[in-house]
Amino acid sequence: MSRTSRLLAVVDREVATVLRTRSYVVLAVGYVAIVLGLVLVGGESGYVPLTVDLLTPVELLVPPLATAFGYRAVLADTEGKEIEALRTYPLSRLTYVLGVYLGRLAALLTVVVAPLLVAALIVPGTGGQGSGVVASHETAGSIFLFLRFVVLSAVFATVVLAAAVAVSTVARTGRTALALAVVLVIVLVIGADLGVVAALGGGLVGDEGLAYLLAMSPNSAFRGLVLGTVVSVVQSETVRAGSAVANLFGLGLWLVGSLAVAVVTVWPTVGEGSWQVVEDRHDQGPD
Amino acid sequence: MTAESSNETDAVEESRNYERGTPIVTATDLTRAFGEVTVLEDVAIDVDPGAVTALVGPNGSGKTTLLRILAGLLEPDDGTVRVRAPDDRPLGYLPQEPTFRGRFTVGETVDFYADLLSSPADRDEVLERVGLDVVADRRVDALSGGMVRLLGLAVAVLGDPPLVVLDEPASGLDPKIRAHVFDAIGELADGDTAVLLATHHLTGAELADRVVVLDRGRVVGDGAPEDVLATTGTDSLEDAFLELVSEGLTVQAGTEGSE
Repeated sequence: MSRTSRLLAVVDREVATVLRTRSYVVLAVGYVAIVLGLVLVGGESGYVPLTVDLLTPVELLVPPLATAFGYRAVLADTEGKEIEALRTYPLSRLTYVLGVYLGRLAALLTVVVAPLLVAALIVPGTGGQGSGVVASHETAGSIFLFLRFVVLSAVFATVVLAAAVAVSTVARTGRTALALAVVLVIVLVIGADLGVVAALGGGLVGDEGLAYLLAMSPNSAFRGLVLGTVVSVVQSETVRAGSAVANLFGLGLWLVGSLAVAVVTVWPTVGEGSWQVVEDRHDQGPD
Repeated sequence: MTAESSNETDAVEESRNYERGTPIVTATDLTRAFGEVTVLEDVAIDVDPGAVTALVGPNGSGKTTLLRILAGLLEPDDGTVRVRAPDDRPLGYLPQEPTFRGRFTVGETVDFYADLLSSPADRDEVLERVGLDVVADRRVDALSGGMVRLLGLAVAVLGDPPLVVLDEPASGLDPKIRAHVFDAIGELADGDTAVLLATHHLTGAELADRVVVLDRGRVVGDGAPEDVLATTGTDSLEDAFLELVSEGLTVQAGTEGSE
């Protein structure tokens, strides 16, 4: 079996785990219901107003949802010592962590994106000025702008899930993982923004550095990208979106940094000086 | 030989008089401490192919720590382990309390591990070997503790690794399943697999080709069961065990598995 087939085996296992775990299904249904409920109650007549309506709910709901999907992902194997059996198989730390991450991500993205796409289909049906698929009002926007929001929401969920998976590799008990998960959600949803406000108030950072500071928080970076690439296209006079490049860099840093932490901490390596396979006894199969 | 004997080391060497092949595992000077407590101290051990080596010792004597070090799962503070085996799957390992994802069936669990191997493995053959073929469609969370241990054994032997390391494979099993497990282990060794197991069940250890007695992190006895009996002047492994290990509850000093 190749490294890719091993990766896919881990991915399949994670997808099946999520699908068979009632709590994940309940969370997913809850998220979908809230998002679609907001769309129906809001009754927006354009894609940009819809984006503005959904931005804050998505920003608040995706962190706990993604964290719930990821914070026990690896712990499911480490807490019960199944990881020790796994380590004797030809499975690298990178392949294992990526497999777990991608499996959870597939499930999470389905949950995050599906109701947004449904919302995109609902808007034309609600009637009213500017509800057409192609923009007919200068502030309504087209479906393509809304699809940018959908893509950015998916990117946001991708980043938060990586941080949650890192939590699941760092924690050694369920209780520790839960505590770290709660801290992660608080930091993302409230803490980072409060930190920015404090930094501004304390004079630690000026207006010129604010955009870069905001980019270091996944929530702020996501918000800035949505405002800059979706809302400001039709409402440029009222939007402060920060630096798109800095925001993308900030999200990328969280993604890569979190996965790197997960790979390094998932299990310890044993140095070759201490333990080494020195010789083949049988022919090996193809990798 | 008694625990107080000043010629303990000589007796250990003397007891190694059974026929042995080229070791698949050679470990020297293994030392490991957890915090202030030294769990293993200068342990040297080798493991032979085609033989069952039973590691016995009181609770806290360092058995699990030694097995994990030999399996490459735990780094020793000092010493080296060399394993003569294929690089892609040199060994299989059964943890002391194996767990698997409860929402998967027995068959799905084995299939998952088979997909990780470099060469195809026969799921049905492995399940039949450990006696789980009749419950292949049963979910793991519906298995008894003993059955989960058998599933762990299946996962350990999947892909026919030349070395299988088993931590208390018979613990918690009823006598019938325990006998079945030791039969399966014996068949593994007959097929040239090296089996290293830790066990509290001295009855099972009697079936091993070699018994290594560990006490307070040191090897205090090593040889074929009959040789251990001869060197200790006892009639049963239980008596030999009591002769070789220190007095008192060594569990009080041990930190095995508490890293």
